Amino acid sequence: MLVIVGVAVAAFVLLHIVPGDPARAVLGLHATNASVAMLRRQWGLNASLPTQFWHFISSLVQGRLGSSYFYHQSVGSLIGQRIGQTAALVAMASVLAVVIAVPLAALAAARHDRFADHAVRAVGVVGLGMPSFWIGIVLIEVFAVHIRLLPVGGWGTSLWGHFESLLLPGLTAALAIVPILVRSLRVGMLEVLESDFVAAARAKGIGEVRVLFVHVARNALIPTISLLGLNIAFLVGSTVIVEQVFALNGLGSLLLDSITNRDYPVVQGITVVLAVAVVLINLGTDLISARLDPRIRLR
Amino acid sequence: MEREDRKRGLTRRKLLVNGARGSAALALSPLLIPDSAFGRTVARTASGKIKKGGTLTFARSVAPTQLDPANSIVQGDVYTLDKIFEPLYITSPAGDLLPWLATGYTTSANYKTWTFHLRPGVRFNDGTPLTADDVVWSINRAATDKEGPLSFLDSAIKKISASGTNAVVFTLAEAWAPFLSDISVFANAIMPKNFGGKTEKAFFASPVGTGPFMLPSWTADSDLTLKPNPHYWQPGKPYVDEVKITYVDSDNQRVLQLTGGQVDIIDTVPPANVASLKARSGIQVFEFGSWAVDLLIMNEQLPQFKDVHVRQAISYAIDRKALVDATSFGTAKPGGSFFPPSLQYYDPNTPYLAYDVSSAKQALAKSKYPKGFATKVLVDSGNETYVEFAQIIQAQLGKINIDVSINRLDHAAFESTFQKYDFDMFIDGATNDISDPDEMASFNLDYVDGGSKSFWSSYDNPALIKLIHEAEVEPSSAKRGQLYAEIQKIAAQDVPFVPLDYPPNIYATSDNVHGFAVNPGGAYRLEDVWVS
Repeated sequence: MLVIVGVAVAAFVLLHIVPGDPARAVLGLHATNASVAMLRRQWGLNASLPTQFWHFISSLVQGRLGSSYFYHQSVGSLIGQRIGQTAALVAMASVLAVVIAVPLAALAAARHDRFADHAVRAVGVVGLGMPSFWIGIVLIEVFAVHIRLLPVGGWGTSLWGHFESLLLPGLTAALAIVPILVRSLRVGMLEVLESDFVAAARAKGIGEVRVLFVHVARNALIPTISLLGLNIAFLVGSTVIVEQVFALNGLGSLLLDSITNRDYPVVQGITVVLAVAVVLINLGTDLISARLDPRIRLR
Repeated sequence: MEREDRKRGLTRRKLLVNGARGSAALALSPLLIPDSAFGRTVARTASGKIKKGGTLTFARSVAPTQLDPANSIVQGDVYTLDKIFEPLYITSPAGDLLPWLATGYTTSANYKTWTFHLRPGVRFNDGTPLTADDVVWSINRAATDKEGPLSFLDSAIKKISASGTNAVVFTLAEAWAPFLSDISVFANAIMPKNFGGKTEKAFFASPVGTGPFMLPSWTADSDLTLKPNPHYWQPGKPYVDEVKITYVDSDNQRVLQLTGGQVDIIDTVPPANVASLKARSGIQVFEFGSWAVDLLIMNEQLPQFKDVHVRQAISYAIDRKALVDATSFGTAKPGGSFFPPSLQYYDPNTPYLAYDVSSAKQALAKSKYPKGFATKVLVDSGNETYVEFAQIIQAQLGKINIDVSINRLDHAAFESTFQKYDFDMFIDGATNDISDPDEMASFNLDYVDGGSKSFWSSYDNPALIKLIHEAEVEPSSAKRGQLYAEIQKIAAQDVPFVPLDYPPNIYATSDNVHGFAVNPGGAYRLEDVWVS
């Protein structure tokens, strides 16, 4: 709760201290000062900042996010139209991140200090250094423009179309966190590999693959899940860039447009919704960790 | 229009010739203009082989947020609503005014009464016929809307009334020369009287117009599908079965969607991509002449820019050709007159103070700042071209000891800063919304009534303002031409701003798109477009 209120306050303050006038942006360069003043009054922008802030917070507490200056509809319904694409993108990116990171970490751990281990770690370091927008453009050039296997961008019109359209952006967003996941998962697996119960399992004659995926992976999973939870918060932030690169018109692109237009209610609304999402995701990861690890089970 | 839309011209010379021809026909003469259709030339070039049907997919940089003609100004709104609603006259790709929902007009001897004759047989997309009452109601609504960004264009209108069901009479306060141009603006598009009995909100959710396309349903700020109007007055049009318009903000993504075959047309092609797109097979690139000009504006509220010699020195010191070569990849033309070449009454012989460093030094020596001074230029950080302009201008003015620092602000902050006159110099684009140059002349140079204190320069020249007013009420096209030549000359010598370049409207399409054309205002009609 404290986090959400903090984010709401920060969004309000930052937005209102930078110069820029939504009324001018709506009315165009030919607008007279009188019509600009009229529109500002209509939106309540002529009130003092503390009054406007009080209005914003009291509406927020009642669950009202206000109305957009530009889109002539409520912020809630605007977010409703867009949140699906962003949520689907985050989900796709999380799944792809796990699907890619777990086998790589297992490979690196199993081949500790040998070629495969070094290769995975080196690629990870290089990968961390590559910006998302660049990876996105390279993926589009290869998979959409040259071999035309997947759409260049957009959201598609059918369920399959949505899925197809999410693969490249999902991969782009996932690649930004895969190196972090691999590193922590690998270290976790290495620790577990050296533990007594693994030695015991091996002594019982259980095969190496089974040891790795059943005994080691499960124990290395707990820190990974908390880490994934933290990184989903990062993913939510990076969707702003990934949506831009892939023309996915989700919350991220709405946020950017609204900042450009100084559409205060929309920016504030999206910021609060994203803050709530991040808090919920963190709560979710805590609950799952508790489930997996008997030592931190909730009472 | 907004400055994001930068696109431009196949044959600038041809545009000019056509523009001049159009303007001659346009002179305020009491004759009936013959009927001619916007798409006629297009239909002829494609004679006999037009393929009907199919889907046109169009990726645009801005999505619509609302469709009220009288309240729109940004391109996402304007270039959507103009497919649904039509005015009495329109501007063709060549810059001519064409009779559209009207077949022509007559004027009284004193040019204060204009009677427009409505085209017979025009129906709205719900099947109801267009009447004079609809026209009276729609233009009255646009003219009296205080928040209407372009309502000032209707300020000459004193009274509008219907004469029978098929004629509309406009009474003007004075013999207003730009009137036909004003009538052609999208803000004066025709809707059914009283929204056909619906509420305003319900009406714009499923708008009813006479245009070639309709929009049964749509959501603000997202993709939409235009369907043909079954009652459209041009038989056989539109050619395509539907137009899918997608919203793709990123320049790079639009170019990739075109080259990847996902869409047929893209708008706002970055100049940097033009050469590589032209080299690609299966893609055609169009540079349409526009009514846009990029300006370096100086703030005359500051003593150094109040000094005309300083402003002249700056005009001499800027190498427009080098500026354009370095930034536009061969797409834009270097600036001279503050009227862009595709605008009516543009004078190519305007004696502007062209690049000449020694003249620049002489002019500065005559000023109160012979040793130069330090100053700042304000730019929109989101506009890469303008940021590059600022860097080049910084280097060029450095040669005459004017030490320029660059102040970059994001778009909204940039706008509110210069509108508070809180700048030394700033770079921005000026655009005309109609074919008549009065809008640009008054907005850029009429300190008193123009609305922006001479494009925020605070340049105030009463003699020049008098000429602008004379041109507004001058019936003879030839005399207006002389007046605008004089206005362009004075502006070029007094330099309230330096016209830097004329950027085009750049579009790219796949080879299978035919009949696509854009007018200098940036508007395009899609009923003539067909897909093979």
